[in-house]
Amino acid sequence: MRLLKNIVTLTMLLMMWASNLLPAQGVLQTKQVLVPAGSFHAVLPEVAGEPIQVDSFYMNETVVTNEQFAEFLKTNPSWRRSEIPPVFTNKGYLREWKSDLEPNYEDVGTNRPVTRVSWFAANAYCDAQGGRLPTLNEWEYSAQLLGITDKAAMDKFSSSLISWYSGIDAQNLAEVGTTGIVTTKGVKDQFGLVMEWVEDFKPIIADELSLDCGTVGRMNTLNSLYNYAASIRYITRMSFNPKITTGMVGFRCAYDKSVDTFQNEHGETL
Amino acid sequence: MKSLRVYSFCLIICVLFSQNIWAQHEHHEPALKASVVADHSLYHLKSSFTNHREETIKFADFKGKPVIVVMFYGNCTQVCPILIKDTWRLYEAVDESVREQVHVLAISFDTENDSPEVLKEYAEYEQLDIPGWHFLTGKNTDIRSVAMMLGVKYQQQSDGNFAHSNLVTVLDKKGEISTRVEGLNQPMSEAAKVIQQIISEPIQ
Repeated sequence: MRLLKNIVTLTMLLMMWASNLLPAQGVLQTKQVLVPAGSFHAVLPEVAGEPIQVDSFYMNETVVTNEQFAEFLKTNPSWRRSEIPPVFTNKGYLREWKSDLEPNYEDVGTNRPVTRVSWFAANAYCDAQGGRLPTLNEWEYSAQLLGITDKAAMDKFSSSLISWYSGIDAQNLAEVGTTGIVTTKGVKDQFGLVMEWVEDFKPIIADELSLDCGTVGRMNTLNSLYNYAASIRYITRMSFNPKITTGMVGFRCAYDKSVDTFQNEHGETL
Repeated sequence: MKSLRVYSFCLIICVLFSQNIWAQHEHHEPALKASVVADHSLYHLKSSFTNHREETIKFADFKGKPVIVVMFYGNCTQVCPILIKDTWRLYEAVDESVREQVHVLAISFDTENDSPEVLKEYAEYEQLDIPGWHFLTGKNTDIRSVAMMLGVKYQQQSDGNFAHSNLVTVLDKKGEISTRVEGLNQPMSEAAKVIQQIISEPIQ
């Protein structure tokens, strides 16, 4: 009897704890990875030669899936395909879904990245999770933490990256977490799956760069193949506007603090 | 058996409780119908901002009134004072008889430093703590959304300063972008005419 009572109490406590976490994390939770502070050389340096400093932050291990986005739409009806106003997207928004809340799993499979979402929708999704989109510098900094030290191996990787950028197959996206490309901190698929929205995808410098053939040449490619691939990525992003919806762009969220840390600091959840 | 029933009861209560919490996450106010708000209106942004008088402000609060929007940050000593002065020049170019109908939103993208108190000091220093002027702060994700809707770019640099666009935007009575003035020290007479025009139009 006492055992049963204990089980009941424990279950209640657990459920209360879980119910406190639910709104922030949702049912289909993605692991948050700590990306420690550091610096990197971007292809668009502020001051030539000086690395860009990045503070520590958390980022989702994988990009947001159709399933997760459908969950978000259940509680945020104004972002559904039939409700979203044209100021936030164009007509292609979630075009391939069967209905407002049903992704087309039969054709695309499960656990696939959500694509055809505008920047506004991606921003709203992350906001609803207690997070935000990663900044351009955060995303780029995390992406280059690949731990490849051998130049030949890095060049080989960068070459495959360049060919991937030139032909992302939006119709046949793999499951999230399956590219095998993982940073040393544990962030998966920053390459090889989809391109990703970042908070400030059009950096201020974009005004001064015209998107012509000479642009790549004027970027700071430092004779590195990786930076050449990076400049293709920067230029592609700069050509976006926040309303576009393409099959090759998905997103993941970032957080200033992990949800766990946040819960502990704001304590007394029980 | 009885214990089991108590146990099930507890489970149900817990589930209801958690759903209730979930429900709090949704918007309680009736959403503005798409047919009421114009397609490209900034009123679709439902987020709240706080002005330097600690009042809560939403874009839709200004329905039926022309609004001048500018984005800046308080610690910006080089360019922003000019940008704010440009905004004042536009405001001042509107006929005095109808000027009180115009609202100005000066939105800071430095959410870390520009608290309502700091913005209050800023407004007082610039002698712009006047009715109709709102120096605003808000959540990062919301501020970035406004910037994206207006086409304002900004990026924080390693030294804490921001690189940013210099843009003054006029919204009509429906919250849609009417005209934009790009760059510093631009003539304001055309944009002022647009505001006069907006004021003279009947409210739909």
